Amino acid sequence: MAATLETFRCMVCGHQYQEKVEKGEDKERSCPKCRSNSIRHLKKAEEASRRD
Amino acid sequence: MTFSEVEAVSGYVGNFTVKIRRKARFVDPKLCNACGECAKVCPVVRPDEFQMGLSSRKAIHIPFPQAVPCSYILDMNDCLGNNPIACGKCADVCDKRAIDYEDRDQIVTREVGAIVVAIGADVYDPTELDDYGYTRFDNVITSMEFERLICAGGPTGGRFVRPSDQRRPRKIGFVQCVGSRNPKIGRPYCSSICCMNTIKDTLLLADHYPDTETVVFYQDIRACGKSSEDMFRRSKEAGTRYVRGLPGEVEEDPETRHLVVTVENTTAGRLERHELEMLVLSVGVQPPKDLAKISGLLTLSKTADGFFMESHPKLKPVDAPTRGVYLAGFCESPKDIKDSVCQAGAAASRGGALLNAGKIRIEAITSRIDELTCTKCGVCVPVCPYGAIVWKKGQPAVVVEAACAGCGNCGAACKFGAVTMRHFTDEQILAQVRAVLAEDPQDKVFAFACNWCSYAGGDMAGISRLAYPASNRVVRTMCSARVSEEMVLEAFRCGAPVVLVSGCHYADCHYINANRQTVKRVQHLWDTLERAGVRPERLQLEWISAAEGQKFAKVMQKLEELRRSVTAEEIAHAREALKPKPKKAPPAKTVAAV
Repeated sequence: MAATLETFRCMVCGHQYQEKVEKGEDKERSCPKCRSNSIRHLKKAEEASRRD
Repeated sequence: MTFSEVEAVSGYVGNFTVKIRRKARFVDPKLCNACGECAKVCPVVRPDEFQMGLSSRKAIHIPFPQAVPCSYILDMNDCLGNNPIACGKCADVCDKRAIDYEDRDQIVTREVGAIVVAIGADVYDPTELDDYGYTRFDNVITSMEFERLICAGGPTGGRFVRPSDQRRPRKIGFVQCVGSRNPKIGRPYCSSICCMNTIKDTLLLADHYPDTETVVFYQDIRACGKSSEDMFRRSKEAGTRYVRGLPGEVEEDPETRHLVVTVENTTAGRLERHELEMLVLSVGVQPPKDLAKISGLLTLSKTADGFFMESHPKLKPVDAPTRGVYLAGFCESPKDIKDSVCQAGAAASRGGALLNAGKIRIEAITSRIDELTCTKCGVCVPVCPYGAIVWKKGQPAVVVEAACAGCGNCGAACKFGAVTMRHFTDEQILAQVRAVLAEDPQDKVFAFACNWCSYAGGDMAGISRLAYPASNRVVRTMCSARVSEEMVLEAFRCGAPVVLVSGCHYADCHYINANRQTVKRVQHLWDTLERAGVRPERLQLEWISAAEGQKFAKVMQKLEELRRSVTAEEIAHAREALKPKPKKAPPAKTVAAV
């Protein structure tokens, strides 16, 4: 299955990290530093800003 | 209905329509008397799957001795061909004229009220664990192959020999947890049956071949259940040696074909080398390969381990989240025969009770779509985890209430207010938001919590007497997916400094996978907030289970810290920036001059 390196940012502690994401994967995300679930997918955010 | 596969399932509890592909057998089971004359003349030889490839079968064969019906099947993938007939020997010798080369797959439709899913599991293939040498060394076999070799109905007729030289091995090792409890290969779960299976095998060897030395390499022996501990004791008394530690390396002596196993005995604290004549890998189980297909057909959800998830682990252990569907056996989680039989009985009883009642009682919390307001866009259809919304292009969507479980995902997805979620309507939730934030909103942390997990997590924090800031105000919804973007924005418009959306962990979602839509909405909301110049961190997302009272308290403490950092100017800016934009007035119609 194709995997891409995606960037995420924790909306609690601000930790930014990259993680391999497989197409169609269904995974609960949590910050590797503070374990929060408020994880923002930055690529999606960039795509959204480009659309606007 | 054997040798058949489910192709499609539609409908809902009490009214399922199942399309089944009855595969072509090319032998009429009513005429075939299993005399075996056809197999004798068949020229095609293939590895016998039932015997784990340790013996062969013909293209025309009985899959296994206990097959029902006891009739031959012609595997057309192996046969030399039926169009045109390339060989035809089986038909020539069949006195009963049971061979039918014109046989074709048939699609059979059945109307059923309840469905029991019992598709079992697959056995783990240890080839990827190269250190154990499976497939490299002939005398390294799996526990399934061992089972066939020692079975009277097996390829050797019960004569226990090793594959390399057909000689009886006198020193046998068993390696436990092969493909189980190993997060490195994505299988962190215990397969539940391997320990007792190995113990049973050691007792079999001690009984059949008392001069055989057996050694078991293990990390933990899990002998739970009735009489299991007694069997473990008997195995040790019979002379089986149990070494705590899994082999790091297996080598083969090229001359004797014996295996040299290096293992760290963690009990004795020393490195040991064992010379064995055969090594049996006690392989675990994994979700069956058809699980994804069945999951799609019946809208079932999976646990993190990949097995089907039950509706509730304690209160509804055999019910699937989709009403009218029940789970039995390995496909739900690894379990032994006794537990599988118990679960199968329970699933059949649950289904029987449903059918006998003749009618079902459904929850009052279901969705309803107003066909006049519905814009016929169909956005609500893919977000429904239960497939409970029926829609055809150009027509208003309709909710099948018997199939609706009441998550409210459709209500949150509909931008036109066409969906009414009974007892959790948009108006009711928005009224709660406004009421909570009517006074001193700057002093409050506003939270949406799902009924099953997060709200219960808050209760757990309370009954555990955990201290957390009193600033939080919680509004309950059935599922976090009920929370629409409009509800979150309204909270900010009402002056909330911080908003939390919380729900069940992925594996615990009570509505199959509805909370994945929550993630999508929160991601979109972060973008919306950022574009409006509102700090996106003011919106938080957390998964809190009913048992995680401590997490609930910890999250509330963090949110309180965050609340203190939000200034009055930020709150005022959010109030203004997130105001709904006035809808553009439709262009004025020009009145034609008369």
